[in-house]
Amino acid sequence: MELQPTEVRGHTIQVAVGGDGPPLLYLHSAAGESYVWLDVLNGLAAHHAVHAPLHPGFFGSEGVEDIHDIEDLVYHYLAFLDGRDWERVDVMGCSLGGWIALEIAARYPERVGRLVLAASAGIRLPDVPMQDMFRLQLGQEDQARALLFHDPSHPMARLVVPTFEGIDDETLAAFVSAMAATARVAWNPYLHDPRLEGLLGRVTAETLVVWGQDDRLIPPAYGERLAELIPNARLELVPECGHLIWFERPAQLLEAALAHLGAAAPA
Amino acid sequence: MKFFMFHLMPYRDLPDDFEEHHDSAWVWVPNELYDPETGAGYYREYLDQLAYAEELGFDGVCVNEHHQNAYGLMPSPNLIAAALTQRTSRVRIAIVGNALPLYDPPTRVAEEIAMLDLMSGGRIIAGQVIGGGPEYYSFSINPAEARTRFAEAHEIIMRAWTQPGPFEFYGEHYKLRYVNTWPRPLQKPHPPIWIPGVGSLETMEFVARHRYAYMGIPYFHIDFFKKTYRLFKRACEKEGYQAHPEQMGLLMPIYVGETDEEARREFEEHFWYFQRKLIPGILLSPPGYTSVQSALRIFKGVESSFISGVKTWDDVEAGSFATVGSPETVFEKLAGHLTDLGAGNLLTLMQLGNMPSDKARANMTRFAEQVMPRLAEAFPDAAEPVPQQVAFPDEQFAVA
Repeated sequence: MELQPTEVRGHTIQVAVGGDGPPLLYLHSAAGESYVWLDVLNGLAAHHAVHAPLHPGFFGSEGVEDIHDIEDLVYHYLAFLDGRDWERVDVMGCSLGGWIALEIAARYPERVGRLVLAASAGIRLPDVPMQDMFRLQLGQEDQARALLFHDPSHPMARLVVPTFEGIDDETLAAFVSAMAATARVAWNPYLHDPRLEGLLGRVTAETLVVWGQDDRLIPPAYGERLAELIPNARLELVPECGHLIWFERPAQLLEAALAHLGAAAPA
Repeated sequence: MKFFMFHLMPYRDLPDDFEEHHDSAWVWVPNELYDPETGAGYYREYLDQLAYAEELGFDGVCVNEHHQNAYGLMPSPNLIAAALTQRTSRVRIAIVGNALPLYDPPTRVAEEIAMLDLMSGGRIIAGQVIGGGPEYYSFSINPAEARTRFAEAHEIIMRAWTQPGPFEFYGEHYKLRYVNTWPRPLQKPHPPIWIPGVGSLETMEFVARHRYAYMGIPYFHIDFFKKTYRLFKRACEKEGYQAHPEQMGLLMPIYVGETDEEARREFEEHFWYFQRKLIPGILLSPPGYTSVQSALRIFKGVESSFISGVKTWDDVEAGSFATVGSPETVFEKLAGHLTDLGAGNLLTLMQLGNMPSDKARANMTRFAEQVMPRLAEAFPDAAEPVPQQVAFPDEQFAVA
């Protein structure tokens, strides 16, 4: 994996790039996982040229001041696709990244090939409340890990939610900045766009929806609803897994994603 | 020295085991805990206390604004100020509220403050605040927009008071086709502006540039304020003038007893009620509410110097989180702080936590009779401050 600074709409963003094969756009969650190039990304890179841009405000990607709502991120990524000369590209998005992917796929369906959504934000079910990720404060790391993982003692939980006492300034600043960038688009309406649900019928991409069965942040009912609303979609549930599938059950997510993207070894 | 009686109007009847079941008295604290019968009595008592401050010779009273919490029950400081315009005739009424980003359109604030200024005969001090972190949860306003909303709202209000209307204002957040505020405030060019801050340089520079007054956010270790006011004075020097004492205020819980021992014995339980039940949650910091640099600084400052970290009475004394003692002791301590800080407004918190009314009034009486005159003598009023500057930089006007 290498970080490639890339110019988008007058700002420099960082793009983690690795692997060979057909291009795959990976849109990361609020955890900013593209920066650490997880197992999932490594596995995808065995079959795809994975391009994982850091959203503005995450780990050195600039231009967050121009992002006011989710639509600004749609145009940000359309410009990114144009810059790469991708008429149409496969997309995988996790949580916040899944929401961005869905907005693009619903508004500009011709730009998205196959689509993988993992625990995607974007819609709201009035009867199934999401938990409030913004309520937790520095110092409430245990609660944050319990919110995001089926097993809060999972080794990755400490990577995603570091212990803040005595932490170095750089790590803390990156975390604060990532949360601030997320809140810009997800504070209110919380983690969703009220117009998106009505647009999902426009999505033409063959879509795989993957969800952790014990997702407490965005419960699995959201996955079921997305799979109903997107015309050509299938839901896969991952047992004993919380919201952050890409951290907690990377092997299962990778297998499902590769199979859907058509990159698995020929059967 | 100008003496103000600051009130929070706290809820005094949280259960004894409150902190075992709730980690915050803010935003999510269940309002089933609020008893309206009790609360109606509180408003009567607290308004009486503020009116009593005028009788005792205070120069002003201060009200403030917080939402969905047990710490301070003035979600609308303007309503309390309206009552005070009719209960008092001499004191200044400082409204250390109107969290501008919460009100859309902000011309509503311009209207209400103007009304209050007229109803009080020109006695209003208009605070303009960004609003604490909890308010962004309570109002669902995006904290990332806190600073830019404040800047726009401030400009709209100041122009509404000082420029001929109607005019048009098109900003990022507010798009107002006709700004033409009736009534206009009585004070010329406008009521004095107070702006609180937690120590960010940007806020200090803004306040210094306009010659407004800066109020350090309370409940930090006294050394934290010393540093803050040094920075503020430097910001004024950069603007080419010396900070006037009345551009700075010290807000401090104060309790005066007959002796040091009696004072502590009478006061201490109320301090702990305040610190253990009402303070938790006050520093809720939603993402994007401050710059990353400020977030780091506050995170570290809070660890070492905020009231929430206080464990023992010795800690309270060492950091001057409250000034408590005999009249002599309280005079000596306050005189020391005021000298160190150079502040010309003393904002006294005379009722704290679950302190009952008779005790708060006795405290006020002892302070006013035995401490205030000595402080007034030791800190005579300086010459009138240079007027606050209404004019904005020309380039800001160019947009409109």
